[in-house]
Amino acid sequence: MEENYLAKWLNNELSEEEVAKFKATKEYTSYKKIVDATNSMEAPTFDMAKAKRDLYKRKEANETKVLTLNPYKKYLRIAAVIAVIVGISYFYNAPTNEIVNTQYAERAAVILPDDSEVQLNADSQISYQKKNWKENRNIDLKGEAFFKVAKGERFTVSTDMGMVTVLGTQFNVENREGIFEVSCYEGLVSVLYNQKETKLSAGQSLVVINGQLKTSELANGHQPSWLQDESTFKSIPLKFVLDEFQRQFNMEVETKDLDLEQLFSGSFSNTDKNLALQSISAPSGLKYKIEGEKVLFYAETP
Amino acid sequence: MCKTKKLKEENITNVCEEEVYASIFSSHSKTIFNYIYYKFGNEEKAYDAVQEAFIKLWENCSKVAPHKAKSFVYTVANNLYLNVIKAEKVRLKHREKAQNTEYESPEFLMEQQEFKEKLDKALQDLPENQRTTFLLNRIDGKKYAEIAEMEGVSVKAIEKRMHLALKSLREQIDGI
Repeated sequence: MEENYLAKWLNNELSEEEVAKFKATKEYTSYKKIVDATNSMEAPTFDMAKAKRDLYKRKEANETKVLTLNPYKKYLRIAAVIAVIVGISYFYNAPTNEIVNTQYAERAAVILPDDSEVQLNADSQISYQKKNWKENRNIDLKGEAFFKVAKGERFTVSTDMGMVTVLGTQFNVENREGIFEVSCYEGLVSVLYNQKETKLSAGQSLVVINGQLKTSELANGHQPSWLQDESTFKSIPLKFVLDEFQRQFNMEVETKDLDLEQLFSGSFSNTDKNLALQSISAPSGLKYKIEGEKVLFYAETP
Repeated sequence: MCKTKKLKEENITNVCEEEVYASIFSSHSKTIFNYIYYKFGNEEKAYDAVQEAFIKLWENCSKVAPHKAKSFVYTVANNLYLNVIKAEKVRLKHREKAQNTEYESPEFLMEQQEFKEKLDKALQDLPENQRTTFLLNRIDGKKYAEIAEMEGVSVKAIEKRMHLALKSLREQIDGI
């Protein structure tokens, strides 16, 4: 007989010939009787509905426990990763790119290794090399930032539109889609745009909009207004003003039947949304409507 | 569009999803109950094993892929009493399916009753793994391959257990 033939017989895997042979044995009747008897057996009753109720009760009780434990674990994990990164960068002092960035409605202050200060406006990013910083002061900028540069070697801010170099001074650089603006608040700033160098002294600013370069006097004081939570514009097309509003309040801006090229002079608050909306709409003769996270600007019908 | 589609798939395959979890419960809770009961002959412990296995599944729902959930719950249930009740005497009592006994003679019924008692005794005396395997197949109709998966052994090993189980049952009942 085949190995484990009883298992095969129960599973109907035996050939007819083998079955016949098995049936001929004297034990067959007993086996058959046992198997027939097991066919009528049942396991004790299992109350699935009750088991489910009990389970869900425990599940709910457990839920809070799980919730309080998990975030802690997550932080531990993050802490471990940070520890490893710090450890590695300490021993392996390779030139690494420091990157700082901000989202919509967010600002950041960065102190550079030589104590120069950078204030990042919303939706902006700077990157620089920490190593040999004092010999090579070079920052890549996307968006807008205010710089207070400590005296020292040449300090360069590179953007994809132009380059700004200084020795030690305070200035603001804005580099957004379609607009490049540099304002000098102290000392002397050299701006390289389109292979052309422009020197700005304190109180002057330079704006490039759609390839058009213009220099003008600065309206106010020692710092860009956004550091005092205000966005200020002087003859700037409306679309850039609305873009700035979107960045400061993280609200989607939509427009309807508007001349986006019309020039806007004025300022709006970066903290009070309703005040800002009024500051933008009133001088330009616009109306606006807020719908959740969106704001719609439209022309005032005569 | 691609993104939403992917999200949907994730939803379907996540054990943390109430629907997925509930369906795993309804398809496997009864078998786990029986499985542990055949092993130890204790209904209370079998009931607790079901609870324990599914609580553990919930706690680990994000880590257990749905196709692994089945073997996960069996493993938890199995491990629960790994060191606990080996020593306890197994007391199995099976229910009988309702049978039409109208035409049977009293002698026959008595003989049948006697046989059942012998069979129960013989089942209790089987080694734990043979009894569990045998009853999962006979009562729950589990295929050898399924039992092999639950027990974490090969199909061949399950065939061996089935063979030995039936063999010793007959030897006991026939009084060899």
